[in-house]
Amino acid sequence: MKTNFRKIAKDGLISSNPTLKLVLGTCPTLALTTAAMNGIGMGLAVTFVLICSNVIISLLRRAIPKQVRIPAFILIIATFVTVVRLALDYFLPDIYDSLGLYLPLIVVNCIILARAESFASKNGVLASAADGLFMGVGFTLALTLMGAVREILGSGAVFGYKLWDFSIGFFSSSAGAFFTYAVFIALFALITDKAAERAKRKKAKPLNDGFIDDGKEAQ
Amino acid sequence: MKILKSPWFKCIACLLCIAVISGALLASLNDVLAVSPETRTARAIKKIYGEEKEYATVLDVDNGYEPIIFDGVGSVNKVYSVSGDLLFQTTGYKGYKNGTVTLWIKAVKTNEKYSIEKVLLETSEKQTLMSKLTGEFYGGFNLTDVTEAYDSGSLFSATEKTAENYNPVSGATYSATAAANAVNCVIKYLGGER
Repeated sequence: MKTNFRKIAKDGLISSNPTLKLVLGTCPTLALTTAAMNGIGMGLAVTFVLICSNVIISLLRRAIPKQVRIPAFILIIATFVTVVRLALDYFLPDIYDSLGLYLPLIVVNCIILARAESFASKNGVLASAADGLFMGVGFTLALTLMGAVREILGSGAVFGYKLWDFSIGFFSSSAGAFFTYAVFIALFALITDKAAERAKRKKAKPLNDGFIDDGKEAQ
Repeated sequence: MKILKSPWFKCIACLLCIAVISGALLASLNDVLAVSPETRTARAIKKIYGEEKEYATVLDVDNGYEPIIFDGVGSVNKVYSVSGDLLFQTTGYKGYKNGTVTLWIKAVKTNEKYSIEKVLLETSEKQTLMSKLTGEFYGGFNLTDVTEAYDSGSLFSATEKTAENYNPVSGATYSATAAANAVNCVIKYLGGER
């Protein structure tokens, strides 16, 4: 069966965006989006784990008995999370410190387990890698955008660079995280719904400006 | 062999294989990527002083020294002399679920008096509300005269305002107690109780 990479990309980035459409991985989304850099760090860590675990699970999908598939997936995911932890602690200690407790918690991130169960265990290696990549990019973009908005409004800076002295403390708080997340989900739903509606209308628009093929005027 | 074809054997064998391969991979990666205690100390110095500095070891549990333990309060794990200042790594006890909080504390000597100038979180164990302890809270531990604080018995507490800029934190009292105990270890050490 031919792999539809375009559909995989569209699913990961838009129609099944893990953060804004499926509302998965809300714990790091709410806790770590106080700064845009945290969003990028967490997003890239999750993307790496998603790609690697999807590839390995896809490779082993016929060897893993159905009864123990979830423990096997968790073992594989935990291995890659530990790799990320070791690498971040060694190469990027500041990001490692800022992600803190949420880094080991990637093991139980719903996005990764959901993709392993619903996609990687049923599809080929290339398709699973692409799915991991685009789901990860979708997650990273959502977290970075949310982080940037909260950082600008909550501390008047973006990526650590001070823009102005004006700030609204609410956006740095937990309540601000929920509020920003809700606004993002609403805006994303509005934009995707409008786009879908427009695409539907374009498809439904009859040819020949109101006349159907046999020459009769459309009702 | 019937047992080799049974589903439960396949399940156990599969999980064992994954665990062994993962373990081997992580063990070899750990050899390459593990951060040494010396690197951690250098990182802490860079964070505290803003630049890399040379240091001399006064006490270091990673180099065979015994930690200095203050019963029920905490322990002094490392002491370094950095440009005439003393840099401590201490662990405070009595955190949430009997966990601990480990801090780096910079003590500066001026006119025979020690002052605490900077407190930085290194790590914590079992503390789930550490995010409640902000930079402002750690900044409150700054003391102008450690000996005076020791002599007057005004050690830091999680619930009482014991210093001018120190504000007790609500909602994470146990973790704050462990952090305060880590600072109290330095006060006790410099006060002569060792």
